Amino acid sequence: MKKYTWLTLWVLSLITVFSTGCDKDDDTPTPTFAYQKIAEGEAAGTDIKIEIYSNEELTTGYNPIYIALFDASGKRIEQAAISFQPMMDMGMKQHASPIENPSSGQAVDGYFPGAVVFTMPSGEMGSWTLGVQVQVNGETGTFTTPVTIKEPTTSRLKSFVSKTDGAKYFVAYLQPQQPKVGVNDLEVAVYKAIGMMDFPAVTNLTLALEPEMPTMDHGSPNNVNPTHTSSGHYKGKVNFTMTGLWHLHLTLSDASGEAGELHFEVNF
Amino acid sequence: MVKEMKMPLLLGALALVASPVLAQQKPIPADSVRTIVLQEVAVVTKRHDHQQHLQNFYNANQAATTEELMSRMPELSFIRRGSYGMEPTIRAYSGGQVSVTLDGMRIQGACTDKMDPATIYIEPLNLQRIEVQTTGASSMQGAAIGGSLDMKLAEADFADERKLSGSVSSGYQSAANAMMGGLRLSYAAPTWGLRASGTYRKSQNYRNGRGEKVLYSQYEKANYALSGKFLLQDDLVLKADFIADDGWKIGYPALPMDVGQANARIGSVSLVRDNSERRWSRVEARLYANRIAHYMDDSARPDLPIRMDMPGLSRTSGMYIEGTTAPGHQQQLTVRADASASYLTASMTMYQEGQTPMYMLTWPDNRQLQSGIAAQYSFQVSDKTQLQLNSRVNMSDFAVTTGEGRNQLSVFGYESTARQFLIPSVSLQASRMVYKKLKASLSGGFNGRTPTASELYGFYLFSQFDGFDYVGNPNLKPEKSVQGEFTLSWQEPRLRLQTTAYASRVQDYIVGAYNPELSAMTIGARGVKIYYNTPYALLAGAEASAVYNITGYTQLVSTLRYSYGSNADGEPLPMMPPLRNITSLRKYFGDYLWVQGETELAAAQNRNSESFREQPTEAFMLWHLRAGYQKETEKKVWQLNAGIENIFDVHYREHLDWGRIARPGRNVFVQLSVGF
Repeated sequence: MKKYTWLTLWVLSLITVFSTGCDKDDDTPTPTFAYQKIAEGEAAGTDIKIEIYSNEELTTGYNPIYIALFDASGKRIEQAAISFQPMMDMGMKQHASPIENPSSGQAVDGYFPGAVVFTMPSGEMGSWTLGVQVQVNGETGTFTTPVTIKEPTTSRLKSFVSKTDGAKYFVAYLQPQQPKVGVNDLEVAVYKAIGMMDFPAVTNLTLALEPEMPTMDHGSPNNVNPTHTSSGHYKGKVNFTMTGLWHLHLTLSDASGEAGELHFEVNF
Repeated sequence: MVKEMKMPLLLGALALVASPVLAQQKPIPADSVRTIVLQEVAVVTKRHDHQQHLQNFYNANQAATTEELMSRMPELSFIRRGSYGMEPTIRAYSGGQVSVTLDGMRIQGACTDKMDPATIYIEPLNLQRIEVQTTGASSMQGAAIGGSLDMKLAEADFADERKLSGSVSSGYQSAANAMMGGLRLSYAAPTWGLRASGTYRKSQNYRNGRGEKVLYSQYEKANYALSGKFLLQDDLVLKADFIADDGWKIGYPALPMDVGQANARIGSVSLVRDNSERRWSRVEARLYANRIAHYMDDSARPDLPIRMDMPGLSRTSGMYIEGTTAPGHQQQLTVRADASASYLTASMTMYQEGQTPMYMLTWPDNRQLQSGIAAQYSFQVSDKTQLQLNSRVNMSDFAVTTGEGRNQLSVFGYESTARQFLIPSVSLQASRMVYKKLKASLSGGFNGRTPTASELYGFYLFSQFDGFDYVGNPNLKPEKSVQGEFTLSWQEPRLRLQTTAYASRVQDYIVGAYNPELSAMTIGARGVKIYYNTPYALLAGAEASAVYNITGYTQLVSTLRYSYGSNADGEPLPMMPPLRNITSLRKYFGDYLWVQGETELAAAQNRNSESFREQPTEAFMLWHLRAGYQKETEKKVWQLNAGIENIFDVHYREHLDWGRIARPGRNVFVQLSVGF
């Protein structure tokens, strides 16, 4: 038996060492949405009940909004045309804000997803209302509710006056919501103000991205400039080499040249 | 018996088959090994043989640290960033190119800035000897292109009569106002033995040759070692070793940061069978584990733009089994199989008031599995001719182990970070007595080394040497080297002369290349370099040593070395030590007192690397005086060592010293020890 002692020891040792070497895989799980009800009520002139949801508190910037519709019997309506009518009442004047109406007439898991870009917080300057107009089987009605818009700790909406056409542009920050050290999806949405009530998505811009760590005075490599995908949304990649405060500098240009520049703060 | 032979074959790919002939064992010395024996040296100074004197020469300052001792070996140089924690280089090969092991055990430093080579966690008091092997013979220890440095641990002893012995020593060095204290206790019994030792050192900022204090050069450390040995059978011994080493506030004047704390825990258990009657006359198997935690911080430094902490952690466990047999008359075969797993992680956190801390992994969590099969075969062909064949096949597997680490590296577009390397190495050495006492040895071979974790996965590792942030490259190829070495030695009782010339061509030589598209992370850094494989580099050099016993009581020892390196474009490689000579003359006055005068000479190094912004270094010459006195009473041995190093207070620096920081000026040392 003694002959086997060395061999056994060696094999056991090998097993010990290599079995302790399991790799950890800590990829973050997909976040689950918590639908948070903002308001509910009946669309005027109909017996359709409207429930308005968001993921979190409404803030200045891009807010995903989910609408659930119920008929008189309380049954979920799956087919409808919906449009948002946000309105800021500043006493002397009123203005609307950019919107993304649910793109499909078909509910997804019972909800009609869309978005509203609130351009300022509620406060002494004025107050916001959100109108939701629904059209179900030829019936049309609107439910309007007051909403409170808070200013987020880090600004998620920037505006500038274009050097090329003199119009006011709004740029909303969508992603990354959970920034990490590494490669992150970057998404912004751009809108243009035409008068006080019309804020169409801008689809023809060229965006240049430059992340910067202001305290360290350095950037990061291999970022991908956001390019237009649809509805004024621009997607690219932003790389963070460490946690901390970053500035994402964006330079926006149209066919006739540089229109403006701005930066978003990311602090994690 | 048959099983024992199959074992290595079972595991690996080595095609060396032992012949079944049993023969009388006879150790065959190799020319490419240089050894410093540390233990019990001074106790036996009555023996005046050359080997002994060479050891004394190395060990002339008994209060010296392990690195100070090694820096006197002709093959070794040290890259110095502070007065402690110097990085050993063998013939200008550094870092991942050399294999540094502790009694065959792998230890991975936990510092991204190479501030903690394995040598700093060991004290001379717990070392038995240091073996430096150049080129081919090093393949027993690991896959390296620059040789190996193995530190053999001191062991407990057995004794027929139970016996307690020990020593107490204390020393002082004036340049750094440094003190050290050491204690050793050994207990020997017929079937078991224990040995415990402890060393404490505290050193202040040292004074350079202009009388200026060199700030941030202080250090403090304590080292404890415990080893036990148990006789299981007549020829089977179980050994267990544990070493704890703690360092605090280790200053690095050449760097922007210091080490707040460095803790090493090193343990192993081994079985040794030593029996010349058996076919495998010696078999050793060892299991080991070590953990090193290293905390860099800059809390002692004033006026920094930003504060940062850089902790690092390394864990290694592994084992090896080694057996020696005599496959035939005048032949010796040693076969070794080893495997280890190392885990490394290091991070950096920077603090700016009123902001979230800035955090990143400087070594994204990574692990290295490696295993190898090596064999050394020696054959005394005739009275005059000897052959030695060394070979190794090394497999290693690197990977980044966490999603967080992989995410970080994806910033550079590195999608796949796992790498496997298979590195074969073979070398052949032939020695022959060519004329009277003149022996010639010629060796040649090829070997390779894997890239290091920093070279593969490093994330903005700032190097103060050239002022760049370094980023790893998981797509690196291993370095491969073809090398040759020629040694001539003349040996007679009173005189031993040895001279060696060597040259190697390293293919896919790994260096950092400036990438102007990347912006530096470190404030004040000049840019970012990414590691890549250059076509090749050439390294060559020569060493010579002489030991001359002028009379039985007077002895001259002199060593000389020169290194040359250039890259594929003909530009000098950085960190090449210049021509250097150490000569010492020792005279014994009776059997108890010796005095040794010593000169240390280094030529100017004007072959500096422009692309690393390396500066030329001036020549210098130092004079040292050392003396030792020993008194033996019935039960005790008293030893007093004292001396003056750098007598003329020369203001100098060595070429491998970073940051143009001057070395210590005149240093008076004294050390007293008593053994019982």
